[in-house]
Amino acid sequence: MKSSLNFGNEFIRLFMTSLISLTATLLIPESTVYAHHSTAMFDHSKSVTITGVVKEVQWTNPHVAIFINGSEGKEEASLWLMEMTSPGNLVRDGWTRNAVKAGDKVSVSFSPLRDPSKGKGGALKKLVLSDTGQVFTANIRAAERPNIDEVQDK
Amino acid sequence: MKFYFCVDHFLKQAFLIFCTSAAIVLCLITPSSAAEKLVMNPAPTAKDWSDLSNLPDWSGVWNPKVSDQDLQVKTNPPPWNAKAAALIEHQFKEDREGRPFLVFWGCLPEAMPSWMLITHNSMEILFTPGRVTMLGESDGNRIRRIYTDGRDHPADPDPTFHGHSIGRWEGDTLVVDTVGILPQAYLAITEAEGVPNNGDLHVIERIHLAAKDILHDDLEIIAPNVLTKPWKTTRIFFRQRARKFDIVEGTCEEGYVAPRVTKDGWQIFEKIEHDIGGNRIPPK
Repeated sequence: MKSSLNFGNEFIRLFMTSLISLTATLLIPESTVYAHHSTAMFDHSKSVTITGVVKEVQWTNPHVAIFINGSEGKEEASLWLMEMTSPGNLVRDGWTRNAVKAGDKVSVSFSPLRDPSKGKGGALKKLVLSDTGQVFTANIRAAERPNIDEVQDK
Repeated sequence: MKFYFCVDHFLKQAFLIFCTSAAIVLCLITPSSAAEKLVMNPAPTAKDWSDLSNLPDWSGVWNPKVSDQDLQVKTNPPPWNAKAAALIEHQFKEDREGRPFLVFWGCLPEAMPSWMLITHNSMEILFTPGRVTMLGESDGNRIRRIYTDGRDHPADPDPTFHGHSIGRWEGDTLVVDTVGILPQAYLAITEAEGVPNNGDLHVIERIHLAAKDILHDDLEIIAPNVLTKPWKTTRIFFRQRARKFDIVEGTCEEGYVAPRVTKDGWQIFEKIEHDIGGNRIPPK
């Protein structure tokens, strides 16, 4: 009798644990899904340009990101997120980890998110440092040559 | 009663003798059987190391030609079977409408053969006696071990993301044969279009220099559960020697945290939010 009671309790415990786990799984926010991602959520047929000030650069694999406080025109500045390729690919395009820093004034052209309700973001195409005029691009397909620097040096 | 006791005692004794005998026989047999199965990897000799100098020069960092990957989506699509073709068509539609399917998620490896087919990141290739090792940039889990010591595939390899690879040199071409790939590994043509290989995947590669700084990987992909016939395709890599291109440490999940300093002065990583596509959540 005692054993069947234990079995019953164990069953209920297992059932409740499973139920809680299932509920937790269903409630896990999308943000916990990590990925290498396609850039199809960006509208590559469009180009938007904003000017503003860099808030933060996250120079990390697999994707670098730059947060910019800026605006398209004279409207109030707001925070924008620029997604980019990997640090390694950006180095090939002339970037370095400290090429763009928090506080830098910049002009940025990018392919915006197709769905504006997703937020203010885009895939960066070109960044210009306002103070120096230095230009950085982010197109891995435009740098498909062996020994790029040797070619540039010649 | 006494008779039963005797029979019972006799049976117990007989059983004990049988077990002891069996144990002795097993002890005598097992060591020799185990010794026969134990295969040792011999220490490389000086000649093994010097022989590496006869191999072609694949040093440096190799970048994939992504524009050619793009081109082949249209010019050389895989011969998908009906089920795979339907899924690919659906994924293209979703992609066009801005809802790309996630071929890669959870920071799992790109796996074989997708790594070679659609990677956007560089790799380096190391030769050591009996081994060719490919190390991919961006994720710490992008490693291919190709055994060139003459071994065969295991009879029943444990399925892995990159499979079990054996290679042999035919002149300056490395011929690589890979089996034992997880059925869940994607056969992908873009980061948003691909299907699980569903098992029995076999990849044959012929890797060679097509020019001084251009490496070709001629792949033959035999995927009987998703393709109607073997698919042949070539992937192109180009070399960088400038030191600034040296591959640096990369960990997939590193992009999902940001460095912060706590009130107590501890330098920590803090999780940052992402959408289901792996993008950081844009500000609203």
